[in-house]
Amino acid sequence: MSAVPLPAADPVLEVEDLRVELRTPRGTAHVVNGLSYAVGQGETVAVVGESGSGKSVSVLAMLGLLPPRVATVTGRAVLQGEDLLTMSPERLRQVRGPGAGLVFQDPMTSLNPVLSIGKQLVEGIRAHDDVPKAVARRRAAELLGEVGLPEPDRALDRFPHELSGGMRQRVVIAIALANSPALLIADEATTALDVTVQAQIIDLVERLQADHGTGVIWITHDLGVVAGIADRVLVMYGGRCVEDGTADDVLERPAHPYTRGLLGSLPDLAAPLDPDGRVPDLATVPGLPPPPTDLPPGCVFWPRCPVRSDPRCETEQPPLVTVGPGTPGRHGHVGRVLEHRAATWYQEGTAR
Amino acid sequence: MVLIGVSLLVFSLIHLVKGDPVRLALGTRFSQETYEALQHRNGLDQPLVRQYFTWAGRALTGDLGVSFRSGDTVTSLIGERLPATLTLAFAAVLLALLIAVPLGTISALRPRSFVDRFASVISQIGISVPDFWLAIVLILVFAGTLGWLPTGGYVPLTEDPLGWIERLVLPAIAAGVVSGSVLTRFVRSSVLEAMGSDHVRTAQAKGLHGHQVFGWHVFRNALLPLVTVTGVQLAYLLSGVVVVEIVFSWPGLGQLALQAVRSRDYPVLQGAILLFALVFLVINLVVDLLYSRIDPRIRR
Repeated sequence: MSAVPLPAADPVLEVEDLRVELRTPRGTAHVVNGLSYAVGQGETVAVVGESGSGKSVSVLAMLGLLPPRVATVTGRAVLQGEDLLTMSPERLRQVRGPGAGLVFQDPMTSLNPVLSIGKQLVEGIRAHDDVPKAVARRRAAELLGEVGLPEPDRALDRFPHELSGGMRQRVVIAIALANSPALLIADEATTALDVTVQAQIIDLVERLQADHGTGVIWITHDLGVVAGIADRVLVMYGGRCVEDGTADDVLERPAHPYTRGLLGSLPDLAAPLDPDGRVPDLATVPGLPPPPTDLPPGCVFWPRCPVRSDPRCETEQPPLVTVGPGTPGRHGHVGRVLEHRAATWYQEGTAR
Repeated sequence: MVLIGVSLLVFSLIHLVKGDPVRLALGTRFSQETYEALQHRNGLDQPLVRQYFTWAGRALTGDLGVSFRSGDTVTSLIGERLPATLTLAFAAVLLALLIAVPLGTISALRPRSFVDRFASVISQIGISVPDFWLAIVLILVFAGTLGWLPTGGYVPLTEDPLGWIERLVLPAIAAGVVSGSVLTRFVRSSVLEAMGSDHVRTAQAKGLHGHQVFGWHVFRNALLPLVTVTGVQLAYLLSGVVVVEIVFSWPGLGQLALQAVRSRDYPVLQGAILLFALVFLVINLVVDLLYSRIDPRIRR
């Protein structure tokens, strides 16, 4: 195709060997264990995995939003050339907002119920940009218009309880975007919303991303959403990345038994009925994720793995290795071949 | 409605108590005629139901009757005593808040720290210590041994500001310690709860300064339930400072009510208790109104 490979721009975020330990009454919980990935400009990286796989904790840890009394975070998380994990608290405060904006899962609780929408936007703007209140208010109204809130000027004086869930989530997104972040992190941002609203929010984020070139980390367990928006997918299990690659590679040619299990448990509406006329049972991944206080020494997925056979499975952690030819990159990775990697001892070709 | 209920209850309870007010007022030597005349004058020879309606009817027009003992109107007696009780109750609540808000907040911000443990022990003691005992100890130490403050009494602020303060300090401490302890624990749990809420994380994520996160997203939210609890404490203090008033010979409503009980001075006692009930209602009303001002969810 293109004859001259363009030089790849520096990634917005580069995470290297991120580890998070939490002190709990039941011992130290290893919730993130050596996570590495990068997010390019204008790229959407979906992080998928079930509850407790360390998806949310990893981003909260990067931005210093875990209680320091409980959490120990190591590794590197370089956002626009600066390591978030070693910067001063004041610098970190400055980065939250203009560097990285966060959208949380539940719009019913992530806004302060007793402050007006306008106040919550304006304080975010003025924490980073010393503008008069009136200017910040005007910018806040523009933001609300941009995220599709009707009557943005009047909405400024409204309170969260006066808005529907979808509208609140738009407000939360407006807050996250208030300082034009280089990176937008959506932590289960559409999980609490119904499907039509979910689609609107996803469109909104994609449009904003196209307009501003924002890098997006989309944390979810909804594989349908992933297929729709992600450039790349990172599958997390037991606090580790077990498989990553472009959305096509991971969703079409999954290499890790866990990814295959996840994809296999999607309900297939077109599936034929059983011989006796019933809808076939939903496939599941049997068992539960290992407790982060007591991870197995070998492959984290070993206790639940349907295809374990290699003697190393039980004792040796499989490294993340290339499993396929990869796919040429787009957004922020143009001219580079994006690898498809998985961490498993299981080898059987990557065809599903 | 509540007031009617309270008045009925009070009326019945008072008349259940043994003792004849006329006999008590007359002493040991009196003729049958004077006894009957006095009974008639005060309407005590009427059936009880009738007595209640006569009293209730007058009460509606603001006439609470006349004291058996002194002959003064009940309204004037209460009017004389009310400022002293209000002063003491408000001073006690103010003191309680002054201690509870900073102590509870620091405890919440630094859980299991020295301050937190200290506050928890102190408030446990504060809740358990009987107020009359504390009142006596305070008098013994500060008025007796150290001689810094007077043992009791009351002067109006307008007459002698310094004397007013001096006489107010010990009773306010004695009355406020329990409320202070209750409020300290409440502030701590309330602030802790607010800190754990999701919107605080949102506030941090948008890069607010620490003091903004605390002031607007933790403290302001924690304040809402505090208003209710403070109202309850104030109402409790207004009607519950009887013991402290007596120990410090503080001329308030509690003392008036106690004297009325001793002399079976029905009109005064009924009036005083009716007023306590009224105060309780008014404070609850004020709290509700205040709430609708500070919590947008309740507006309209």
